Amino acid sequence: MDVELHVIGTADGNGGTHFSGDRGPTSNGEDVTVSLPDASEGDGLLSTLTSDGERTPLNGLPASQTSTPQEETSVCRIKRELNEVVFWKVRLWMIIIFIFVLIIAVILVALAVCAAIHEDEDEKFDPSLFKLPLYHNGSFELPNQVFTDDLFNMSSNKSQVLAASLQEKVAGVYTSSPALGRYFSHASINAFRNGSVVADYQLKFLIPEEEKDWLRNFTLSREMVFNVFRQFLYDQEADPAQPQYIAPDSLRMF
Amino acid sequence: NKWCQQKENLHICVFTRFPSHPAAHFSLAASQNLNLLPPLSFPAQECAEFVDLDLSHAFIGTSVRVRLLLYTSEKGMCGTLMSHTDPTAHPQFNTSRLTTFLIHGYRPTGSPPRWLPTITELLLARTDMNLIVVDWNNGAATLNYFKAVENTHTVADNLTAFLEKLKENGVSMSSVHMIGISLGAHISGFVGANMNGSIGRITALDPAGPQFTGTLLKDRLDPSDAQFVDVLHTDIDALGFREPLGHVDFYPNAGTDQPGCPKSILSGSSYFKCDHQRSVFLYMESIKRVCEHKAYPCESYRGFLDGLCTSCERFGDAGCPVFGYDVTGWKDVLLKLNQTKTYFTTNPASPFCMTKYRVEVMIWNKAARWGRLTVKLHGADQEAVATIDHAAFEFKRFTGTRLLAQFDKDVKSVMKMSLKFSTGNVLQPKNRLRVLRVRLTPLEGRERPLCRYDVVVEEDREVTFRPLPCQDSNF
Repeated sequence: MDVELHVIGTADGNGGTHFSGDRGPTSNGEDVTVSLPDASEGDGLLSTLTSDGERTPLNGLPASQTSTPQEETSVCRIKRELNEVVFWKVRLWMIIIFIFVLIIAVILVALAVCAAIHEDEDEKFDPSLFKLPLYHNGSFELPNQVFTDDLFNMSSNKSQVLAASLQEKVAGVYTSSPALGRYFSHASINAFRNGSVVADYQLKFLIPEEEKDWLRNFTLSREMVFNVFRQFLYDQEADPAQPQYIAPDSLRMF
Repeated sequence: NKWCQQKENLHICVFTRFPSHPAAHFSLAASQNLNLLPPLSFPAQECAEFVDLDLSHAFIGTSVRVRLLLYTSEKGMCGTLMSHTDPTAHPQFNTSRLTTFLIHGYRPTGSPPRWLPTITELLLARTDMNLIVVDWNNGAATLNYFKAVENTHTVADNLTAFLEKLKENGVSMSSVHMIGISLGAHISGFVGANMNGSIGRITALDPAGPQFTGTLLKDRLDPSDAQFVDVLHTDIDALGFREPLGHVDFYPNAGTDQPGCPKSILSGSSYFKCDHQRSVFLYMESIKRVCEHKAYPCESYRGFLDGLCTSCERFGDAGCPVFGYDVTGWKDVLLKLNQTKTYFTTNPASPFCMTKYRVEVMIWNKAARWGRLTVKLHGADQEAVATIDHAAFEFKRFTGTRLLAQFDKDVKSVMKMSLKFSTGNVLQPKNRLRVLRVRLTPLEGRERPLCRYDVVVEEDREVTFRPLPCQDSNF
């Protein structure tokens, strides 16, 4: 279509000069019949061009620009519409980008808030409900201690000192346990016996009434309570020659 | 250095390579037990070798010619071309020994199988036997697979006649073991059927599927072809046979895609044959007793991976059958069970065996958790990894979730153990698996189960700890 336009356009220009030169002297009937439709065709073309090519006069168009007038016009229209001032100096494209950024920001904030306020339901508990006592008893051996008679008497100074340090150690094992810690209440050393030194201990747990069966059978089962202590003893890096050393194999739970 | 001679109406060619030792020809064998080879004086004897054809032969097509190459411990890796009519002509053929036939399959390129020297050597090292390598390369080397399939019947008839001769010469059919690879497996089946199932054992290594799938029993290998038929399937989705064919059928890695085999055609011809050929390599490892593959009878591979089939009680003290050459130890019980489909998984490379543990995880999280586990075992100087990721598993409060962990190595004394839990979701806050007890029970071997109590495993973060022998029996 563009080639056709161009050819007709130049033909029109030539025709114009030709037209004016010819008309005067000869006034040929043939010429008139040719040149008149020529002129009318050129007029029609100019008018169509001005109707859809808004800003460009026909002669000023290079061939490349005239190649896709329809595509160009839609791109131009979108450009123009995006550049339209909505209010003040804010243009349409700024608003569109802003909306996108806002959506992404809302998503990110929501995720961050979710992560921040996320409460691990397993870390939540109400200690006031833990009322039902649960006891476990057992014994362990301190191979590096020498049994003396004053250890028979739990109120003796030596017994008190040893018991206090052992109670602290045992309590530390259970309070640091992720599963058992919240239920742990108290560890006590009830007696010392002969055989290097054998200590009898008692562990007290407090559990909520509503979960007592689950806890008795699983979390605070004898197997769990025993093995948490046992694996602590196996893990300890303590020097086996240390006075407070507890022999892992000697751990019992009745 | 090639000369040809006329012998027993067969035109054979003998290739020798002076001055090198004949073992040099078997470069594959070099990796294993070279000291098996008895010293050979050269050039005092000629060794018959597998016919080496090339692509041009395969292109034109070859007509069947069966050559029987006898290998015995006396002559080591030096084969003797056997007479079809008079097996007693060879002094090293001992009728009171086990006679093993090794029958290859389709050879589209005509080259000798590259595993042949290795398997020959391994079999000879295992037991004193008459090992007869059935060379029907002329017949198997053709681009037209259908023609090769047709030729299997000719080969089978030929071998049947030979077996009849062996029988006449006092060879007990119960002492005959046929190892057939691909098409060779069906040849063994045909021979077995011709001998009315009197043959002692047929081992089928990835029996061929195309042109055999869906055929009648008489047109393929079946359990009635021998006293005991054990079958290995490694490529059921392409060149192999999908359905069970023997008394016991082994499906390593579901019998489909073997680990370590190329996943795309870009790797060339090995893309087509790797899975299929893996059967031979797995079997060779079992002959060599590199390690044991316990094979677990199960309804499906998925069930096996889920750990639903770890019980081997029906096999008594021996446990589940061990795949390979030594499965004969389970012969009686397997015959009683009629047909058994079994599964195991392998490593991508030799040693192919994996070490299996049953992992039991009990959690105390209020809500159930879904995810995958990676377990690592650390020994004194090695580390074994088992990723249980074929599916996401549900972990429920106070309920033991049982998983099957397959480790790439066997760690003898476990010093440390690691656990990693992953759910794969990116946007949610990190989960924690609050483990009350994790217990690892070795499925093979007699080691005691290992336990760890009261561990919190945060998602995507590996926790390492020292497991201790479980102590729960006295509670």
